[in-house]
Amino acid sequence: MEQTPKTYTARPRWLKVLLDIWENRSRTALVVASIAVGVFAVGMIISTYVILATDMEESYGGSNPANIQIRTRPFDEDFVKIIAKLPGVRQVEGRNRTSLRLSQDEGKTWRSLRVIAIDDFENSEIFIRESVEGKTVPADREILLESRILEEFDVEVGETLQIQLSSGTVRELEVTGLVRDQSIEGGPNAQAVAYITMDTLTWLGQEPSFNRLMITVEGDNIDLANIEAVSQIVEDRLEESNMPLISVINSPSNEHPSSVTVLAILSVLGAMGGLMLVLGGSLIANTLTALLNQQMRQIGVMKLVGARNLQVISMYLVLIILLGLISLVVSIPLAAWGGYQFALFFGDLLSISIGSFRFVPRAIVVQALIAIFIPILAGIFPVISGSRLTVEEAISDDSASKDGGSGRFFEKLGESMEWISRPLLISIRNTFRNVRRLSLTLFTLTVAGGIFIAVFNMQASLNNFIGSVTGLFKADISVSLSRPYREIEIASLVESIPGVADTEMWLSALGDTPKGDGSDIVFTIQAPPAASDLIAPNITQGRFLQEGDTNAIVVAETIWADLPELKAGDTIEMGINDGRAEEWTVVGIFSFPERDADFILSYAPYEIISQQTNNVGRGTVLKVVLDEQTLVNQERYANTLDTLFQDEGIRFESIEEGMTTLESVSEAISTLVSFFLGMAVLTAVVGSIGLAGTMSMNVMERIREIGILRAIGAVDSAVMSSVLVEGVFIGFISWLLGIAVCVPISYGLLTMVSLAITNSVMPMVFSATGFWLWFLVIIGLSAIASIIPARNASRLTIREVLAYE
Amino acid sequence: MQKATKRDQALVQIRGLKKNYETPAGEFPALKGIDLEIEQGEFVAMLGKSGAGKSTLINMLTGIDRPTTGEIVVGSQQVHTLNEEQIAVWRGRSVGVIFQFFQLMPSLTCVENVMLPMDFGNLYHNQRSRYQRAMHLLEQMEIAEHAHKPPSAVSGGQRQRVAIARALANDPDFIAADEPTGSLDSKTADAVFRLFEEMVAQGKTILMATHDRDLASRVSRQLLLVDGKIVDDSKG
Repeated sequence: MEQTPKTYTARPRWLKVLLDIWENRSRTALVVASIAVGVFAVGMIISTYVILATDMEESYGGSNPANIQIRTRPFDEDFVKIIAKLPGVRQVEGRNRTSLRLSQDEGKTWRSLRVIAIDDFENSEIFIRESVEGKTVPADREILLESRILEEFDVEVGETLQIQLSSGTVRELEVTGLVRDQSIEGGPNAQAVAYITMDTLTWLGQEPSFNRLMITVEGDNIDLANIEAVSQIVEDRLEESNMPLISVINSPSNEHPSSVTVLAILSVLGAMGGLMLVLGGSLIANTLTALLNQQMRQIGVMKLVGARNLQVISMYLVLIILLGLISLVVSIPLAAWGGYQFALFFGDLLSISIGSFRFVPRAIVVQALIAIFIPILAGIFPVISGSRLTVEEAISDDSASKDGGSGRFFEKLGESMEWISRPLLISIRNTFRNVRRLSLTLFTLTVAGGIFIAVFNMQASLNNFIGSVTGLFKADISVSLSRPYREIEIASLVESIPGVADTEMWLSALGDTPKGDGSDIVFTIQAPPAASDLIAPNITQGRFLQEGDTNAIVVAETIWADLPELKAGDTIEMGINDGRAEEWTVVGIFSFPERDADFILSYAPYEIISQQTNNVGRGTVLKVVLDEQTLVNQERYANTLDTLFQDEGIRFESIEEGMTTLESVSEAISTLVSFFLGMAVLTAVVGSIGLAGTMSMNVMERIREIGILRAIGAVDSAVMSSVLVEGVFIGFISWLLGIAVCVPISYGLLTMVSLAITNSVMPMVFSATGFWLWFLVIIGLSAIASIIPARNASRLTIREVLAYE
Repeated sequence: MQKATKRDQALVQIRGLKKNYETPAGEFPALKGIDLEIEQGEFVAMLGKSGAGKSTLINMLTGIDRPTTGEIVVGSQQVHTLNEEQIAVWRGRSVGVIFQFFQLMPSLTCVENVMLPMDFGNLYHNQRSRYQRAMHLLEQMEIAEHAHKPPSAVSGGQRQRVAIARALANDPDFIAADEPTGSLDSKTADAVFRLFEEMVAQGKTILMATHDRDLASRVSRQLLLVDGKIVDDSKG
């Protein structure tokens, strides 16, 4: 046959390295996948991290956010000018935030809409709105919509909307633009927001006054202390003007409204990145060890023909680096794409404007370091030990009899446990024949299992937390009155408002009990009526209040900071509002989200507290239940109550919407839960590739042994079941170890997330779902990962198997 | 590296060579005191049953394994004094080793397999001259037409020719062959043996372990090993 003449510019040893990669493509694919999956995971996480962090800061900072947002009674432009002159105030704008009813179908259906009225859009410089479509400055009788409204309503620019006034009159406004406003919190329950001029507000029958102050500060606008100092000056000025402070939010210019959630996500992303690195590293070590074991004979031959240790080491290091580079090439675009998609997902969820697709240099650098150095670190030990093998050790053909020292142990095990069948014993013995390989495989699978199970524990803990919080915020609106008011008077007034379903009057009081060191423990007591439906705390000991209770109290777990021994059924000496101390029975203890809270919330029967404070038939806290329980509706009715109480001369300290707190917490949690599920899937993928790789390598290594077994009469099914039992056994051990490892991982992740969300550590809840789901995943994967290579091996003829190199 | 103090006539000198292996049943003496000299240009056949110590002796001479006691000098080199790294360098340049099962690199072509020792030993200047030498050796072995095929694409006899060409790559004086015809049919084995004869005619020294008494009878000197000892050393 005519041969194509060749010239050789490459040394044969380097050709061998390249050919090892090219000619064993399935093995190369497996190794590359092992490396790439870890590199991809870390790269994706870093990309998401960097994109979210930078875009959040840029887009939020770029909108010139208010450092101080104050909600107070209506005020005019003159008051804005007064505030503008206060020291430390750089810019100030007055806004009116109200709620209106919106219809798109000629009044057939109505929905609540939050409306922000701004006096001078042209010169509005705080929370600058970004154009999405159409105008950013509405003319009179025009309306701009915040773009996230599209998630809830199908609205187009140019469309006319019907707005219902409180009088029932309907007015029409043309939608002239879609904008994005960084001051609006995102999340699954994001509210629909619109913008109009003050003249339009008047035309819609509202008072042309402001109820919000938006302030930016002089000096360092990311220094919270500076902001709080200026805020205090403004608050003092409000007090001077007899303006009640309904709410105040101080936030640095780089702190997005969703930053709490983002911080939690970013910290978990970081932790996940670290865990993925450990996972990927062990996967790489595992795969490379197997690869080098396959090359032992060839290393021996090379040494036979004169290769020195350093030459062998350099060949395999180059092989490892090349495999790392291939993995890098594969994983960089995938990680960039995945990271960007993740950032878009979170950006959308958290109302962060994400810029265009980009590669994140920091992610690429870290990926390159991981793709090159982790495989080198993982492979250097087997490479060096391989290069140190003598030629005789490397080329001697006794691989089928190598045992790792466990053989005699299993012989004894078989003798003492005769019920174990011989083939099963061989499978179990095979599992332990390469202890180092087994350790690496188990490590990989255990970490993967630990992360997977921990994710479900996290989910259960977060859901449990939501459950425990929900019971504390069942009323739609809570009004703290300045003094006790007659229940009958307030109830008849409020319940006459259409849309109000029910009201309850509670009392609040302070209880004090001696601590033992001379100081007192002060309880913040809420006293609901015995038949109240508006409170259902998460009781962890004892019970909640019942009808007929006398001196009974239910306290938050925060009490344990002062009285760590306290339990349900104990009695304490407590005086109410500095009154005479009496004996009270602690009938129950409930979990409270903020363990570090500086007050001890407790509940006692209204009937008793009202008697002891001489307030029978009166209350200091009004709880309102609405027909429509949405945050927008709650805000709308909060405004209505504000106006009503002012008109009626009823003095109050604050009006709070019940869902405000709950919503911000549940938004963060639902976002995190979806994120964690994504992470669980990623972990399962990494673990699966690891297992599949290990089992394939294992079978490839044992192919000669399989040939011997078949030559002496083992049928295919016996060979396959031996391999299958071995794989499933490894999976089962890793599952048991994963259960143990998930505990610290679960606590670590939950601590990070709960500290970020609530500044306290949430109680851990272990979910059976994660344990059993991982059991099914790992056993199924073990079986599949073992069967495929075993089937391939059983298809080879004995001659092929025994000649296998 | 320590050189032999007395560079005399014999290319290979073995004195008091013993090799014991540790086994679960205790120490097993594979070689029980071998004294042997092989002159330059000799073709020596080593006969003996399985387990007689033929392969062990070949492994000692080529530095593949280390003696328990005794001295081995090949050329001017005291092999028993070298460490693993020095042995690899020495073997690559000074000894050609041929096995029953060829031990070729499966991913490289035949010519690349022949070039490999030159590459590791950094001999023959550049790739072009290494390639030319490898092709020349393959032509000598009459398998140049298969030079660019992988070992798996040629027959057993052809693989052994490649292995012989590889053993000659760095032009060693001494060639050790362990059952080189053991896995070949008689016709192919005969052809391979003729190549050995040609090599000896060109001045090479060959020690060949074999079971084949017919082939052994064709060489200039025969050793008979029994239980780790040379019991017969006859020149024909």
